[in-house]
Amino acid sequence: MFTESVTLDAPNVRVTDDAIEADYLYETTRVTLDEVSGAAVARPHCERYTFRTERQLPRLGLMLVGWGGNNGSTVTGAVIANREGITWRTKEGIRRPNYVGSLTQSATVRLGSLCAPDSDTHEEDVYVPLSSLLPMVHPNDLEIGGWDISSADLAEAMARAQVLDYDLQRQLRPHMARLRPLPSVFYPDFVAANQSARADNLLPGDDKQAHLERLRADIAEFRRARGVDKVIVLWTANTERFAEVLEGVNDTAENLLAAIRGSHPEVSPSTLFAVASILEGCSFINGSPQNTFVPGVVELAVQHDVFLGGDDFKSGQTKFKSVLVDFLIGAGIKPLSIASYNHLGNNDGKNLSAPSQFRSKEISKSSVVDDMVASNGILYQPGERPDHLVVIKYMPAVGDSKRALDEYESEIFMGGRNTIVVHQTCEDSLLAAPLILDLAILTELAQRISLRRDGDAQYERFHPVLSLLSYLLKAPMVPHGTPVVNALSRQRACIENILRACVGLPPENDMRLEHKRNPRGHQKSL
Amino acid sequence: MRPSGPADDRATASAAATATTAASESPFRSFRAWPVRVQSPRVRYTDRHVEAQYEYRTARVTPDLQRQVLEAREHTLSYTFRTELRVPRLGLLQVGWGGNNGSTVTAAVVANRERLSWAARGGPQAANYYGSLTQAATVHVGSDAAGRDVYVPLSSLLPMVHPNDLVLGGWDVSSLNLADALERAQVLEPDLRRQLRPLLQDMRPWPGAFDRSFIASNQWPRADNVLAGGKGEQLRALRGHIQQFKREHALERAVVVWTGNSERYSSLPPEAHQRAPALLAAIDADHAEVSPSTLYAVAAVLEHCPFVNGSPQNTLLPSVVELARQHHVPVLGDDFKSGQTRLKSVLVDYLLECGFKVRAMVTYNHLGNNDMYQLTDRVMWQPKSSSKSRVIDDLVASNGLLYGPHEQPDHAVVVQYVPYLGDSKRDVSEYTSEAFMGAHYTSVMHNECLDSMLCAPLIIDTAILCELFTRVSFRRTDAPGDYEPLHPVLSVLGFFMKSPQVPPGEPVVNALRRQRACLENMLRALVGLPPESHLRLESKCRVEAPPSSDGESGAAGAARPVAAE
Repeated sequence: MFTESVTLDAPNVRVTDDAIEADYLYETTRVTLDEVSGAAVARPHCERYTFRTERQLPRLGLMLVGWGGNNGSTVTGAVIANREGITWRTKEGIRRPNYVGSLTQSATVRLGSLCAPDSDTHEEDVYVPLSSLLPMVHPNDLEIGGWDISSADLAEAMARAQVLDYDLQRQLRPHMARLRPLPSVFYPDFVAANQSARADNLLPGDDKQAHLERLRADIAEFRRARGVDKVIVLWTANTERFAEVLEGVNDTAENLLAAIRGSHPEVSPSTLFAVASILEGCSFINGSPQNTFVPGVVELAVQHDVFLGGDDFKSGQTKFKSVLVDFLIGAGIKPLSIASYNHLGNNDGKNLSAPSQFRSKEISKSSVVDDMVASNGILYQPGERPDHLVVIKYMPAVGDSKRALDEYESEIFMGGRNTIVVHQTCEDSLLAAPLILDLAILTELAQRISLRRDGDAQYERFHPVLSLLSYLLKAPMVPHGTPVVNALSRQRACIENILRACVGLPPENDMRLEHKRNPRGHQKSL
Repeated sequence: MRPSGPADDRATASAAATATTAASESPFRSFRAWPVRVQSPRVRYTDRHVEAQYEYRTARVTPDLQRQVLEAREHTLSYTFRTELRVPRLGLLQVGWGGNNGSTVTAAVVANRERLSWAARGGPQAANYYGSLTQAATVHVGSDAAGRDVYVPLSSLLPMVHPNDLVLGGWDVSSLNLADALERAQVLEPDLRRQLRPLLQDMRPWPGAFDRSFIASNQWPRADNVLAGGKGEQLRALRGHIQQFKREHALERAVVVWTGNSERYSSLPPEAHQRAPALLAAIDADHAEVSPSTLYAVAAVLEHCPFVNGSPQNTLLPSVVELARQHHVPVLGDDFKSGQTRLKSVLVDYLLECGFKVRAMVTYNHLGNNDMYQLTDRVMWQPKSSSKSRVIDDLVASNGLLYGPHEQPDHAVVVQYVPYLGDSKRDVSEYTSEAFMGAHYTSVMHNECLDSMLCAPLIIDTAILCELFTRVSFRRTDAPGDYEPLHPVLSVLGFFMKSPQVPPGEPVVNALRRQRACLENMLRALVGLPPESHLRLESKCRVEAPPSSDGESGAAGAARPVAAE
């Protein structure tokens, strides 16, 4: 059954006006290798934690870098359409706005099984919206703003994007026309030359310190003018080339701030936005593949205890790849080669037609199967990996409609081959826009969660590198020295089980042991 | 725009990408052959058993009738699992032994056992068990002291029969010996068939139970090796074969797997359909609606052999399940989930879990082997169609945000016979989903593989795992009583089945990810390891966890070293 909401009333959960506190048993397994006996010695380990989640929802502002791009204008238009209840005509009839494709707004989780109050009989599974587990900001309540290098107002930007249906655009136009992006930072060296034509809304000069201060002032002003309690800054602008990580320049927080003061050429626009965001105490999310989070940025975020999420939205081809390859390797089938072709005709595709920007994307896309390959030492020798190719072509005619063509060649039983060819079509921005909302909503939620291990004096927050968001990101950034998980099913289980922990529910184990007992009362007849 | 090979400079690139992810050593460790020993005060290895106390933690939802709300709370039950450690000598009896699946399984086991390699286009190819969950898949056991993930083969959690040690036999309505059956199947390479011929040519299937009303008429010409007599007589003959086989090969246990033709549904009278005694009576009375597959299932159960139904028909009638319960014999069904349906149970799960609304699924298959040839008969097609079509029901029902109470995606399944393609199965599927703001998200997929190479590893896995679960028993820790076996309907192996049979009242799960998690967590439970939660709190918290002391556990009781093997 499906139900919209469930209440909590359990001895391990305390709900006050301010917070939900849940005592939680965290079970893991620790492994050592006994070289003598040749066994992996596994020790179950458990620790008690208390999760504390503040209940009060803030007024949340979302500032997008690249607000007038296809993603930015689509997110903005969709939120307005949902908030205002705007319906529109298509050739199939009336359409209603929705948040389909959003993890927080349209996905469900299995809560548990329904039992009669005083019996042990498990009747049926109960599913609830993921967002019903904990208080989360609703996307309709987001205050949206941001920067763009193009001066087009959001109505023009929406028309330029060619993503939303015409009749919807027509009705959104009056709402969107008064939204104008703030002037942005543009260092031509970091994006493709073909983007210069669009850049007519720029912060003057080339003093990076002045730019930084202006961005900080923009955030502070947005916070004040829109009356929001929290701001999250999200990069959904062009893919940049990789910045060089240089000793003395961007390797530490201190050096990075000095490099900005000295307007060092290797400080990228996205890094500048990240620094401005951190210094204003705002979480920053990088939706593109470049290395915005140079070591100096991460150190600065740790110093200021601000969340970073990155890199690169996992919306289409890569998301699917992180399901399919996980499935294949998990079933004991050995992928030998993965050839991925993409073509699209939006501005993102245009920018990616330049080699160094494509290189950033290629790196982001290529590491996605590494963890799955490394997990199976039966199929792969150390260092062995499937051939993996990624091609992206700019094809103006298809516009925002992205085509991904993948071929997976695998080895199966006794030298057999399994060939899977996949062709996917969807509007690029309509896949990415719900992820932008999910990232903002989940990051804000993570800011309200703290946890305390039994015996520790204080609650602590999550590590500033917010690996919880991995599900939504192509090249998930994780705290130093911890394994990167790309497999989508594991990433989702992580989000789901963290939310369950916050309300004192054990992790999903899918065992359904209660049904696997043999009813008594039957004896052998022969 | 010519990219250089991503593999060439990935190391440098990712080091530059995020210093935070750069590690000089891989954070993953995967081992080929480390048996897992669990050290815990709650786990005890004896000469014969591993006994594990296990806290089964679930969420219970109960209606609060006064407040008109549902309440969720954690609920813990303590179980003790006991698993026999000794691996028996195991026989695998296949019904349809000379078919493409049966001959491929046989050839693979012999080739692996004899360490054969053969000339293939791409060079020498060695025998392997790729595609088998027990032989080629790994599980995440936990983390080592450095925080690295440790993966081990799924089969190293507990002692399991190795497929090389399987003793093979079976029935077929065609009298071909296995070497000739292998030629007919056209699945394996000629150089391998050449080497296998002397090893397989003396393997001859026993005559099979055959009832022409249950399979398509195009199969009749193949049937030159059939049991005579009425159904009661046939049942006795089948039981005799099993007894003889176990005796001749000194087997402690055998598993019977139906990989014969898809039959039409049987429609026995209600009493024989529901109740074991009436079914046995119907067999004795040579009732026309007792299907050959049900006859094999009954023979297997009466001989205490687990039975796997690898085809879609209703072999496992409630009366067969009752018989299995009486004899404590596991049964597993229905229909091996090897190709299109397996991928569907991944893809649709993925789409819905992302919050996309799947609106239309159109799936075409074509192939040219004997299985397909017989499915050209409309009556035989009905069980297959039904088995394939139910695969998304649980997924759709789980999302009330996207679907109304009785709303279903459009779903079409077409299967065509194209003789030229032989065993090479082609599956063309289109999934059209609704995405954000009314957008269409369309995925088209073409999937090509030899049908029998997808299915053969599943036959091996189900035999090995059915045997394992016959060694498992459990009881409530807090209310000691006798150890009891699992419910005979082995839903824990739903991973392998298109249309998983479950004990009465258990929700049917089709999502492959959940089915795999179920099996993996059950195996972990048997050795007292907690389920995989994927939380990784240690890497999410700011402060590093202190190093653990030896034998540490949240449970009461002193840490105690476990005797080494």
